[in-house]
Amino acid sequence: MSHLIHIELDRLEGSLLRILGLVERRGFNIDAAELYDLGEDKRGLSLTVRPRDPSRNTEILGLQIDRLYGIRRLAGDPRADSNTPAAESRISA
Amino acid sequence: MSNQPTGAQLVISTLKALGVETVFGYPGGAIMPIYDALAGSGLKHILVRHEQGAAFAADAYARATGKTGVCMATSGPGATNLITGIANAYMDSVPMVCITGQVATHLMGTDGFQEVDILGLTLPIVKHSWLVRDATDIPAILAEAFAIAAEGRPGPVLVDIPKDVASSFVAVSGAASFPEWTAPAPDANAIKAADKLIEQAKHPLFYIGGGVEMAGASAELRALVARTGIPAVSTLKGLGTLPTTDDLFLGMLGMHGTRAANIAVQDADLLIVLGARFDDRATGKLNAFAPNAKIIHADIDPAEINKLRHADVAIPGNLKTTIERLNPKVIFAGSGGIQKWVEKCKADKWEHRFRYNAPGKGIYAPGLLKSLSEKAGDKFIAACDVGQHQMWVAQHCEFAHNRSHLTSGGSGAMGYGLPAGVGAKLARPDAHVVTISGDGSFMMNIQEMATLNRYNIPLKIVLLDNSSLGLVRQWQELFYQENYSEIDLSDNPDFVEVARAFGLSAFRITHRHEVDGALDKLLAAEGPTLLHVLIDPRENVWPLVPPGASNAEMMEERWDEPLDSY
Repeated sequence: MSHLIHIELDRLEGSLLRILGLVERRGFNIDAAELYDLGEDKRGLSLTVRPRDPSRNTEILGLQIDRLYGIRRLAGDPRADSNTPAAESRISA
Repeated sequence: MSNQPTGAQLVISTLKALGVETVFGYPGGAIMPIYDALAGSGLKHILVRHEQGAAFAADAYARATGKTGVCMATSGPGATNLITGIANAYMDSVPMVCITGQVATHLMGTDGFQEVDILGLTLPIVKHSWLVRDATDIPAILAEAFAIAAEGRPGPVLVDIPKDVASSFVAVSGAASFPEWTAPAPDANAIKAADKLIEQAKHPLFYIGGGVEMAGASAELRALVARTGIPAVSTLKGLGTLPTTDDLFLGMLGMHGTRAANIAVQDADLLIVLGARFDDRATGKLNAFAPNAKIIHADIDPAEINKLRHADVAIPGNLKTTIERLNPKVIFAGSGGIQKWVEKCKADKWEHRFRYNAPGKGIYAPGLLKSLSEKAGDKFIAACDVGQHQMWVAQHCEFAHNRSHLTSGGSGAMGYGLPAGVGAKLARPDAHVVTISGDGSFMMNIQEMATLNRYNIPLKIVLLDNSSLGLVRQWQELFYQENYSEIDLSDNPDFVEVARAFGLSAFRITHRHEVDGALDKLLAAEGPTLLHVLIDPRENVWPLVPPGASNAEMMEERWDEPLDSY
């Protein structure tokens, strides 16, 4: 099953590599990625990810993303709503 | 010359303002401006002989003190030599700030001399990292780097500074500060739910990880164990959090854990997991681990909870507060009490206690290590290398305090022990710091004996020499049909002569009757001293859970001689 994750990135050196590397390293394929501008030194990234095996937990991946600095998981697509809050522990399936 | 400071001077002044006392490092081309500013600055710098030694020494300095360790290296090979140490700190959640020089900005991306993308190379093994583009950002970045390294679940942070940025003059002075981070408090309802589960359990057991020590919650844990009377096991990194001599402490769990600890885990109906992460070396076959146990899992890192084992009660947040607030009314005696369970755990501990009456007259390493820790006493700090000796230390040494067992746990990095001893002894000059190494591991950072000599650091070294890669040999014997492949190290140099050539005192023992006197001599020695101990290459680490097996399936070898004391 694929999962769609929306992320907000500060425009910091390495932030895109940091998030993509984490997702792959934690056992997920990245099937699609879309990078877009969110203004004010922010970028949006929407990733469609798919676990490589059933033991990979998408909720845990979300929490591992939350540990990163300058990178925030969002509750929904920021392009749909500019006030999209940061996710707490939700990933849309 | 400008009156304004350079970026490099800002690095040094900010480190001092942040309270850094000791930096471990090695200079080179791209970091020369920072070393230029370091000279005469009053900041203590320990010149190691390999950058990996700087990272390991900074790591151990941090583990021994709870402060953030600092290491520095130049670009290219200097930076890549730090990588094993950075990974080691990441795996074991050690707060460390690593400063690397980088080639000048205009050369970056041109394959310049000693250019390497250290930011990219270390992305998976740091909490965060920066490439500094503007020297005016240096104070703020360093302040944030130290904050991030230490907050929450600690870890390493990298700051890469191009040479031109370090050399540029900037209209900034003084140090920046970064807001102090407060660990989120545990949820009160989760604490209540945990108390209830503990009160209902018939076979409860504490499973203590390194997170308790890092949370500064050792005293709170000791109080919790005492007031509940519930037995405890620990991970490799959790050793010393409870005194290993505590009546309720059953030992380390897992692959080389004690039989009593693994039996208790398998029989438990509730595991109270505090600051641990269900590492595979601790759990063995995961789906056979603690098959009857409900789980209470408390950790500062919410991403560790439910990662590998479902938690019936999850308590993310401040672990110290969690442990303080857990207050179950545990019934001890009677049909609903845990008395029988506790007595069974203690009986198993006694029945499966380690024996030290090994046959023969050769030196029995477990017995030597037990004696070493007893003789060193309350101020014993072990800086372990990786291999059989590391497991023997975990099994047989006594640790009265936290921050006294420094070991490369998650990473298992051979070569850690000697530079870790350097860092630990500088951090804790009052303690009996002993590096315990094997002949394989020792050779990986043997050059750091020069650091001991240069600064006259009175580290003691116990080198257990079996002329082989012992743990690999053991696995080849047991699981690869005795097909011994590339484990013979019988062409090792004469370690006593090598140590003396580096300026250390050194002596050798080969027979069991020499052990007692040798340990006394070692601990009484004034300067850096190496004790070279020849042991039987055929000696194995027991017990052992075979790879892929349940912790219930421990292999063990025992002998039948009377239980004389060692």
